[in-house]
Amino acid sequence: MSLTKETKNTLSWSDTVELIDNLRVDEVGLKERVASLATRSIKKDSKLQALNYIVTMCDLTTLEGEDTEGKIGQMTAKAIRPDPSNIEVPSVAAVCVYPALVSKAKEMTKNSNVKVASVSSYFPSGQAPLESKILDTQFAIDQGADEIDIVINRKAFFEGDYRKMYDEIVALKEVCSSVHLKTILEVGELRTYENIKKASLISLAAGSDFIKTSTGKISDGSSREACYLMAKSVWDYKEVTGFKAGIKVAGGIRDSKDAIRYLVIVNEELGSDWLNPDYFRFGASSLVDDVLKQIKKLKTNAYQSGYYFPRG
Amino acid sequence: MNTWEYAESIESSSIVSIEKKYGIFFDGQFQSPNSKKYLKTISPSTEEVLSSVALGNKSDIDSAVESAKSGLKVWSKLSGTQRAKYLFKLARLIQERSREFAVLESLDGGKPIKESRDFDLPQVAANFFYFAGWADKLDISWNTKGLKPYGIVGQIIPWNFPLLMLSWKVAPALATGNVVILKPAESTPLTALLFAELCQEVGLPPGVFNLVTGDGTTGAALVQHPDVSKIAFTGSTAVGKYIQNETADRDIGLTLELGGKAANIVFNDAAIDQAVEGVVNGIFFNQGHVCCAGSRLVLQEDIHDEFVSKLEKRMQSLRVGNPLDKNTDIGAINSKEQLDKISSLVNEGIAEGGSIFQTDCDLPTDGYWFRPTLFTNAQPSYKISREEIFGPVLTTLTFRTPEEAIEISNNTEYGLSAGIWTEKGSKILWAADRLQAGVIWANTFNKFDPSSPFGGYKESGFGREGGRHGLLSYLKVQS
Amino acid sequence: MNEIKKTYKNYVGGKYLRSESGKTFRIALKSEFYEVPLTSRKDVRDAVVAAKKGFTEWQKLTPYNRTQVLYRLSEMLEGNIETYQQILEDSGLSKSKAKEDTKQALDSLIWYAGIADKWEQMTGNLNPVAGEYFNISHQESLGIVFTLNSDENSLNQLLLNILPSLVTGCSVISFNGDNSIMALKLAEDINNSDLPAGALNILSGKFDQIIDDVSNHVEINAMAIYKQLPSTDKKIIRENASKSLKRIFINPPVSGLESLLPFIETKTVWHPKGR
Repeated sequence: MSLTKETKNTLSWSDTVELIDNLRVDEVGLKERVASLATRSIKKDSKLQALNYIVTMCDLTTLEGEDTEGKIGQMTAKAIRPDPSNIEVPSVAAVCVYPALVSKAKEMTKNSNVKVASVSSYFPSGQAPLESKILDTQFAIDQGADEIDIVINRKAFFEGDYRKMYDEIVALKEVCSSVHLKTILEVGELRTYENIKKASLISLAAGSDFIKTSTGKISDGSSREACYLMAKSVWDYKEVTGFKAGIKVAGGIRDSKDAIRYLVIVNEELGSDWLNPDYFRFGASSLVDDVLKQIKKLKTNAYQSGYYFPRG
Repeated sequence: MNTWEYAESIESSSIVSIEKKYGIFFDGQFQSPNSKKYLKTISPSTEEVLSSVALGNKSDIDSAVESAKSGLKVWSKLSGTQRAKYLFKLARLIQERSREFAVLESLDGGKPIKESRDFDLPQVAANFFYFAGWADKLDISWNTKGLKPYGIVGQIIPWNFPLLMLSWKVAPALATGNVVILKPAESTPLTALLFAELCQEVGLPPGVFNLVTGDGTTGAALVQHPDVSKIAFTGSTAVGKYIQNETADRDIGLTLELGGKAANIVFNDAAIDQAVEGVVNGIFFNQGHVCCAGSRLVLQEDIHDEFVSKLEKRMQSLRVGNPLDKNTDIGAINSKEQLDKISSLVNEGIAEGGSIFQTDCDLPTDGYWFRPTLFTNAQPSYKISREEIFGPVLTTLTFRTPEEAIEISNNTEYGLSAGIWTEKGSKILWAADRLQAGVIWANTFNKFDPSSPFGGYKESGFGREGGRHGLLSYLKVQS
Repeated sequence: MNEIKKTYKNYVGGKYLRSESGKTFRIALKSEFYEVPLTSRKDVRDAVVAAKKGFTEWQKLTPYNRTQVLYRLSEMLEGNIETYQQILEDSGLSKSKAKEDTKQALDSLIWYAGIADKWEQMTGNLNPVAGEYFNISHQESLGIVFTLNSDENSLNQLLLNILPSLVTGCSVISFNGDNSIMALKLAEDINNSDLPAGALNILSGKFDQIIDDVSNHVEINAMAIYKQLPSTDKKIIRENASKSLKRIFINPPVSGLESLLPFIETKTVWHPKGR
C-alpha cells in the first residue's frame, strides 16, 4: 500500500478562500441523487467483488475508555485474519485505536500488512489548544502509528474563524509529514450540506490526505449524503490541484447492504481509481462480521449466524 | 487496476402472462373486432413479437360508442360516493399488481424497469386514489353549481407513459361522471388491456370503460364519431392540430397535451452539481421520450465549460441496456420509426455545425437503441434547437443576461415546461413570471403529482390535467 | 353475558391503557355491561404527551399518505361493520337505523379520506398583492385538538367529530361519555390502520371531572365541543382558554369543507420577484 504523494497537496490561504467562496448545494436534489444511487442492484460476482473490497477497506476500530491491551490483542488478531475458516478472506486495512494503545497494536500487527491508525488532536471534541493537539499527535507517531485521524476545530468553524481551522490542520500535517493524515469533519454536527462542503474543501486545502465523516462518538454518524458531498469535494479539488484525496466513512455503517451503497457512490462519482484502501476506508467494528456472513452466504447459499466468526 | 462492473440483475418476466391475441373491450367484455384485423406488438429491446392486438375500425368505434351510451345510463345514476368506491378499488388492485404492470410496461414499451417500478406505477395508483377522492365532492371543487360531465369521452394516449397516461385520462373522467372510450398507442397496448381486466374484476358497470386498440385510423374514427362529446388527446402537435381542425364543425369539448422543446435554464449562481443532475434527468429520463423534456440547455456563458465538463462526466455513468435489468438507466427507443427520426435529426445537427458528444457505452445487437447525446456550439436557428427530437439528445445554447435567457426560452411555438436553476429565490420568481410555459420547475425537473395541474401554453396544447384545475377538463359549465 | 368478558380501555399513544387512577364507570348496554376508564387529570396529561409525539409523526406523512391511512381505516371498519351495528342495536337503535348509520359512517370516512390531499388547494391561495412580491397563504395544522364528542349513539357522528381535525393534520384527543363503547371499539380498528401512534387518542370518562384540567392545559391548542354543554361549562372553558389563547370551537360544522376550517392556521409568506 503506497501512500506517498508526489505533489504537495496544500493550497495557500488565499487560494482556499477562493475555493470556498459561494458554495451552493441544493439539499432536495442531492438527497434524490443519493437515493437513486441506492437503487443499484448489486448481485452475484459483482456483490462478491464488493464484499471483498469492503474487507480490505475496513479500519477495525475500538475507541473506548475501557480499552485495554487485552482488547487490542483480540482485535488485531481478527484484523489480520477475519475469517479463520476461509483463508481467501483478506486482512483489513488497519486498526484504529487511542494513542495509549498504539504500541501494543503495533507490536501485534508487526508481521502483517495491517496498519495502525491512531486518533489524536483531542479526539473526539477537539476542544483544546493547538499545543495539546500537537502533543498527542506527536506521541501517537512516536509510539509507531502509521496513520493519524484528527478532528477539525468545530468551535472555530462555527465561530466563522475558518483561517484558524485551516492553520491547525496545516500545523498538524507538519507533525504528520511522514504519516498518512485523515481529517474528521464530524458531519453530524456540521449538518448542512454547505457546511460539509466547506469543511471538506478547507481540510483538503490544508493538506489532508483523507477526509473522514465522523468520530463515531455522536449519534449522527456517517451518511451517504455526506459521502456523496465529500466525493464531489474530492473531485473538484482534484480538478483544481491534480491531487487525489481519499475518503473514510465511519459511524453507523452496520451492514453490508449499506456499505455496498457507499461503494456505488464512490464508483459512480469518483471511479474505480478510488476503489482500494489507499483512497477509501470504512471505519467500523461490526461491519466486518456482516460482510463475512454475506461472503459465506454467497458461497454456501445459506443465511449464516454470527457465531461462526471470531470476536474482535 | 480493476474496475467494478455490475452483474446483470434481471427482473423476471414470469410474473406476466400475455395472451397470443386480444380483442377490443366493450360492454364489459373482450370481443372480436368487427374489422377482423390485428396488429403485432413487439418488444423494442429485442424485436420479439409479444402479441397480436385488434386493429379497430369505424364499426368497432361504433360498437364502443353504443356500449358507452348504455354505460352512461347506469353511471349517471350512481352517487359520487359509489363512483369513488369503484375508483378506490381500481387503485388498490393496481397497487397489488404493480410489479406485474411494471414488467409488462417495460416489455411492451422499452422503458427501464427501475422507472416503471419506481415512477410510473406508483404515480398510476396515486392518480386513481386522488381522483377517487374528488368523485364525492365535486360540488365543492369549484365554487359554482353549474358543472356537469360531458357524457361520452374519447381519449387517445401516447406510447411514452402508456399506463400513466391512461390514469391521467381515465381516473378524472370517471370520477367526474363521464364514461370513456380509450384508444391506446399502436405500439403500447398491453398495459391498457390488463387494466381492462381489472375493470372486470372490480365489477365496473359494462360500458363505463371501453378500449379500442388500433392505429391512427382507429383514432381518427373515434375523433370523427358524432356522439362523442369530448376528446382528450396527448401526442404530437401535428396530430393535435389535425384533431382541432377535424372537430371544427362540432360543439365538442377538447383538451390537447402536445409536444415541447423545453428550456432548462442554468444561471451562474445555480447549485451546479444538482443542476447537472436536473439537466441529465430532464432529457435522459425515459430515453427523452417525454413531452416536457428539458431538451434545450440554456446555459449562462460564463459557466459553460465547467458545466459541460461535469455534464459529460455525469452522462458517462448512464447505463443503456436491457429494460428488465434493474441497473439500466436508459432503455430502448420505442420503435424503429422513432429511432430513425432521432438519428436523422442528429445527423442534421452535425451537418449544421453542432459539436456532438456521445457516451461510449456498449449497445445490445438487437432492438432499438440510441446513446445519450449532447450538442454544444449549437445556435438557436439550428433544427436541433427548434424541433422536438423526442429522444436522448440535448442541445446547448448560451445566454449572457437574464432577459436573454427568457427570450431564448420563449422563442419557440412550444410552451409546455421550463426549468430554472439558480439559488436566488427572487430570480426564480422573476423568471417564472416571464416564461411562457404551463409547468415551471425551479431547482428540480420532471416532478409530477396527481394534485399538480399539468398542461401547455401556445402550441403545446390547452387544458390542464391533474389537480383541482384538472377537473375542469371533464366538467362543462351548464349555461 | 359473553363467556369471555371484554374490557374496553383508553387508547393513548398506540397503546390500550386503564386509567392511572384505577377508576371506572359503568356503561350498560342491552346485552352486556362494561366498566370503562374514568379518565383522570393525569390521564389527560399523558394523552397530551402522546398527542405531541403523534403530531410530529402525523405531520411527517405526505397528504397522499394520510389519504392512504384513512382509506385503510375504512377497510378495517368495513370488515367489522357488523360489530358496530351490534353495539348500536345494544344501545337502543333499531336494526335498520343501525345499518343506515354504519353505512353513512363509511361514506363519511371515504369523503374525509379523499379530502386529506385536497383541502389545502381549496383553502389556501396565492394573494394578488400590489407590488413585486410573491405572496402565498399556506395552510398549516393547528396542532393538538381535544374533541368533546357528541353523546349520540351513532358511528357516523363519532367519525364526524374526529375526522375534520385529523384530516387537516392535527393530532386528536377524542373524549367520549356514556356512548364510549363505540369509540373504544373504534380504537381497535384505528390501531390496525397505520395511523402513527398518538395521532388519535380515545378516552372515556365524565367531562365535568376534567373540564378545568383540559381547558387549562396550555399544550392543547384547540378544543372542539361537539356535545351540547350548559352555558356555565362553556363560560368556564372560555375563561380558562383565555389564559393561553386556546382556540375554542363550540358546535362546529360536522360536514363539508366548513368542518375543516376551524383546525387550520394560515401562514402567509412573502418573497420578492427580481433579477
